[in-house]
Amino acid sequence: MTIIMLIVVITVPFIAFDVLPAIGDPESPPNSHVSDYYIEHAIDECNSPNMVTAVIVDYRAFDTMFETTVMFLAGISVVLIMANKPRRRIPSPGDFKRTRNTGGTPIYQTINKDVMISTIEPLILIYAMYVLFHGEVSLGGGFQAGALIGMTYLLDVMAVKRDKPIMNLTKFMSAAIAGLGPFIYALTGIICFIGGGLYLQYNKLPFNIHEAELHSIGITAVEIGVTIGVAGTIITILNALRERISFDDDND
Amino acid sequence: MMTTINAFLAAKGIYLLTLILLSLGAAGIIVCNNYMKKLICMNVMQVAVIFFFLCFGQKTGGTIPVALSEVVKASEYINPLPHGLMLTAIVVSLGTTGVGLSLLFRITEKYGTIEEDDLIRRENKTKTGEKE
Amino acid sequence: MTLILEAILLLGLIGITVAIIFGKDLMTSVVIYCAFSFITMFLYIVMGAPDVAFTEAVIGVISTVFFIIILRSVNRKTK
Repeated sequence: MTIIMLIVVITVPFIAFDVLPAIGDPESPPNSHVSDYYIEHAIDECNSPNMVTAVIVDYRAFDTMFETTVMFLAGISVVLIMANKPRRRIPSPGDFKRTRNTGGTPIYQTINKDVMISTIEPLILIYAMYVLFHGEVSLGGGFQAGALIGMTYLLDVMAVKRDKPIMNLTKFMSAAIAGLGPFIYALTGIICFIGGGLYLQYNKLPFNIHEAELHSIGITAVEIGVTIGVAGTIITILNALRERISFDDDND
Repeated sequence: MMTTINAFLAAKGIYLLTLILLSLGAAGIIVCNNYMKKLICMNVMQVAVIFFFLCFGQKTGGTIPVALSEVVKASEYINPLPHGLMLTAIVVSLGTTGVGLSLLFRITEKYGTIEEDDLIRRENKTKTGEKE
Repeated sequence: MTLILEAILLLGLIGITVAIIFGKDLMTSVVIYCAFSFITMFLYIVMGAPDVAFTEAVIGVISTVFFIIILRSVNRKTK
């Protein structure tokens, strides 16, 4: 039974090979219908030299809104799955052998706490802010900045012993922070109704500025929403796992 | 004969290796008995699919999709549309891995093991125990 | 030239996948998964997608740390 499944899974993808386009061809079907319009009009319509940011936040902004919602839903799911009371289960004979002290050092004794908290973490946060606000001029954007902020929280948790944390958030508080991300995103879309435009049409924001700057304001507000959503989800999953599993005692 | 093989490999050879990676990942999910290895092989399959998508946007001699003032023609930039879609896919896979790992923790708490045949054997034993 | 480099990196990825499937200790598989994520980041740079490479670098680290946290509550030896 396993062998039949393996044979089917391995040989079926090799059948349709002449339908695929050749690599490196500028006239192939994925490269010729709508991407040329995006490449040629990225600067004068969206005011951003980075074409990938112009595609995901301005031309296809609706997809990114639902992506942020999916990240928030993943954070909520982890909180709901780990919400039961821990049951005392009858220990099997393998458990006593496993928790023998093997002489390893816990994590908070191998990281220099003062250097980490006073020097390294502020540098990472400054870099995350730089990546967020320069996402439309050079490489970067909201996803990378949010993941960097989540990584700062991870380093902070590992550097201190468990009963004296520096930034202590429960899993419910961090889920609330993660929910602020899609809210800011949807709010930007609804504000565009006031100026008389469609949903997420940045031309019609009701501010009294030059039109190219309106696109920049819309893109920045939306990227802030994405950043808060991604960072909040990473912090939520980390807190939910940390309450039941401790990784800073001396067993290995 | 050699020229046709050369032409085929230069134009479509990368797809062969990508399909091998995808099938290896799928075979790993079926064959491995441990649940954690199944999760890791799922991530391997996802990398293969993302690479397959990025192959479509290639143009020979093109530059990265950040607008420069010297390069004006649209056929000199790499297609930015697959890059945007795959950015979303990578971040969503992080959420999926998180949910999968929390389910794994609950399975460990209830059954005490994460090998698949131990689990199935224990389920069958309790079922036949209740039936009798 | 670019195609040859991509083919070499892809062959490396295939070798790493075989090592993940046949590992006896779970910690081995998780550490090799970190190397897998690192090599895919190089692959994305060679293909001309630096945004995707940046995102993959950051998220690969976080994903590996999640796996290692779970590994402390699970039996590490597989059969």
